[in-house]
Amino acid sequence: MLEIRNLIASYGPVLAIRDISFTADAGKITTVIGANGAGKSTLLRVISGLEPATSGSITWQGHSLLNKTPEAIVRLGVAHVPEGHAVIASLTVAENIEMGALFRRRAHKQDVRVAISEMYALFPRLEERRNQLAGTLSGGERQMLAISRALVSRPSLLLLDEPSLGLAPLVVEQIIATIKQLCISTGLSVLLVEQNANTALAVADHGVLLSLGSVVADQPASLMRADSALRSAYLGY
Amino acid sequence: MFKYKRTGIRNLAIALIFTVAIIALGAILDPYNQGQLAVVSMLFIGVLSVTLLTGTSGQISLGQGALMAVGGYASALTILNLGLSIWFALVMAIIVSALAGLLLGFAAARLTGPYLAGTTLVLALALPSLAIRFESVLGGDVGLNVDFGNPPAWLVSAFGEIGYEQWQLYATVPLTCLALLATANILSSRTGRMWRAIRDHESAASLMGINVSNNKIFTFVVSSGFAGLSGALYGLRGIVGPSVYPISLSLLLLTGAILGGLRSIAGALIGSALVVFLPDLIEWATRPLALSEQIGNYLPGLIGGVLLHLTVILNPGGIAHALHRHKNK
Amino acid sequence: MDTALTTLFLGTTRGAVFALVAMGLVLVWRGAGIVNFAQMGQAMFSTYIASSLIISGHGYWFAFATALIAGALLGALVDVAVMRPLTKRSHSGILASESMRATVPVIASLGILGILQSLAGMLWAAEERGFPSPVSDVAVKAFGKTAPFTNFDLFIIIVVLLTLAATTLFFTKTGMGLAMRATALNPEVARLSGIRIGRVRTLSWAISGVASSLAGLLITPSANLSPNTLDLILIVGFTAAVVGGLESLPGSVVGGFILGLLIAVVNVYDAPDDVFLALLIFLLVVLIVKPGGLFGSKRVRNV
Ligand SMILES: Nc1ncnc2c1ncn2[C@@H]1O[C@H](COP(=O)(O)OP(=O)(O)OP(=O)(O)O)[C@@H](O)[C@H]1O
Ligand SMILES: [Mg+2]
Repeated sequence: MLEIRNLIASYGPVLAIRDISFTADAGKITTVIGANGAGKSTLLRVISGLEPATSGSITWQGHSLLNKTPEAIVRLGVAHVPEGHAVIASLTVAENIEMGALFRRRAHKQDVRVAISEMYALFPRLEERRNQLAGTLSGGERQMLAISRALVSRPSLLLLDEPSLGLAPLVVEQIIATIKQLCISTGLSVLLVEQNANTALAVADHGVLLSLGSVVADQPASLMRADSALRSAYLGY
Repeated sequence: MFKYKRTGIRNLAIALIFTVAIIALGAILDPYNQGQLAVVSMLFIGVLSVTLLTGTSGQISLGQGALMAVGGYASALTILNLGLSIWFALVMAIIVSALAGLLLGFAAARLTGPYLAGTTLVLALALPSLAIRFESVLGGDVGLNVDFGNPPAWLVSAFGEIGYEQWQLYATVPLTCLALLATANILSSRTGRMWRAIRDHESAASLMGINVSNNKIFTFVVSSGFAGLSGALYGLRGIVGPSVYPISLSLLLLTGAILGGLRSIAGALIGSALVVFLPDLIEWATRPLALSEQIGNYLPGLIGGVLLHLTVILNPGGIAHALHRHKNK
Repeated sequence: MDTALTTLFLGTTRGAVFALVAMGLVLVWRGAGIVNFAQMGQAMFSTYIASSLIISGHGYWFAFATALIAGALLGALVDVAVMRPLTKRSHSGILASESMRATVPVIASLGILGILQSLAGMLWAAEERGFPSPVSDVAVKAFGKTAPFTNFDLFIIIVVLLTLAATTLFFTKTGMGLAMRATALNPEVARLSGIRIGRVRTLSWAISGVASSLAGLLITPSANLSPNTLDLILIVGFTAAVVGGLESLPGSVVGGFILGLLIAVVNVYDAPDDVFLALLIFLLVVLIVKPGGLFGSKRVRNV
């Protein structure tokens, strides 16, 4: 279970997250939605250790994630796919995936090989483009690669920041369906940040609505989907 | 406007006090320390050129020593070939080195930190090559002999006997004062504010409508003018040649500026005094230890390097900044 | 014709050494965003260590290996003791401004250079020392003719080529090599992938230290060893790295050979005194005509 208590974070004088508390259940998809600038990406960046928190607590399966480096947090099973197809453009597809598993290659040599081939099975288009530079991939392929890079470390919690950014609805559906499948088959927990509330709430088990750095709703996804008043107040449709 | 006037008057007062203090000091010191104090006044102008360039506009140059050399050669050639007085020669030095700065500025406007540092370093190293290439004019390895000449009669009648070192000091100090005033004015002017804006955030500055590359070039011109004046005075002590302006001179100016405080005139003053007197001070402090010559020769370099480090890591604002903070507590 | 051949070989052997220096600079620049002006100071220091070992009766190869290890340790030390504390503080005070973040590490590396040179002067005297070469310095003879290069020249070229091959293999075939490339290209994604970028950076400094120490060991037999001898080599290496684009390892190697040839040509056909003038002109032309270097990306240098 991911447990966030009274989290506060800021960029210098800009308060981006003001006192957030919520929990996300293990093995479930929890989606964090909200308008532009609501603090969704910041939340994920604080969880994965890229930005420091001012105060509060974050625990994943009993381990505190606060004041740890991203390198250490990945080792606790938390993998982050940051906003905007974060792959390394001048490395090949194969190298990008391998990179995600580097830290496990000593202890789990065999399993790393299996994990890599699983990624290619998950996204066959990547296999065809193994030796191509990541910079030459299409947007959708890049997103698949970014997700593979994270999944290959066999995380227990996946932080996914706007996978739909700039992608055709069909591709988005495909990617989200794949993730959902993984949750069911492997017990992966997912924290999914999305602009597109409908897509997200359709697959998620639980929804958290952020506005200006605060939680304004925290309820089962199905309820949130049905609540049109909430939607029109905070999402504008 | 009123405020500007007040700072103007304050600067003038500081400059006058500085002049009087140096002249008084010059009268009581022995010739060696008169000479050292003259060097402080000369290098102070050079360190101010770093204050303007690096401290105010954020560009780094490892070639300030080369620009000093340009000033030195310009003044020496004016004196030797045109037969003009040292005062004309100094003006020539400022003009010629400012022009050299203009050329350098065109290159510099396109380069950042380490590129600029490397390029200016190569420039400083290429200087001796130039002196040798044009040996008939520039005097090759040996250089050109020049000096401050004799003190004018009215000065002698006012102060009595004036030694050569004392005359160096008295001839330099008024110019140092002018440089100080000019720097103070630039720093408090609109130009100074633009330079700082570029230093702190180049893209934001350009969005605010500041012409970044023109300002960078202009900084180089002004700073080079200062360096040229400093170099001309430095050379007038006897020789203008490659050995007078080694690469270590550029580093000395930078060290002085950093140790004293990169962002203020007071810092530049403290820094130039420090780099000139530090070796003497270390020699004096370690005399009871009877260190071998080998160690004694390299001790100032070691201590300078360590101080530079401690400053950069622990107190990047330099001594002036630390004093200021202390005072405000 | 003979002069031309001699020039070519002189240029190639010198170029091989410059390539090493340039590689050292590029490694640290890519890994940490710093041009290390103290690099050849570190090399000088480890060469002095080798020289002292040889003088006290140890064999050449023992001294050689010790110097390389010393170079690695010194590089790592500079990172851990100086550059890390600097970058940790990089958002406060005077370092808060953009341009100063680029400028201050340059100053810090100059400080290190000063410290190393003074220490070397104190420890090993100021007078110049010779430094032995491991193979004979006589011209190679083949088919009854004297070749325009010596055994030592051949040795240099072989060592440098082996180093290049080893580095290339390391970067393309090993996990650590991949981690180093990832860290240089995108530290954030590298960290999110679990790469400990602090350690990887320190390793870049160490490898750079080995490359430059190797350069020091190879160049000093033809120069003399003193606390300041290798400064000029650094400048040539810097120019080579800029010619190669400062980002690219293969580029830096090619840059090294180009400069080796340029300098040999100036030395042989013009006058040794003009070398730095030629260097300056060449550097300015490259920066004006191809600011990204001959191999660099098209990325603009400012900002
Ligand atoms: N590096 C930064 N420096 C300063 N302020 C920042 C920085 N990154 C984000 N912010 C501010 O923090 C707030 C939250 O930003 P965040 O990126 O978390 O929003 P978001 O919910 O992910 O928005 P979007 O849906 O547009 O991605 C915004 O007001 C933003 O301007
Ligand atoms: Mg976002």
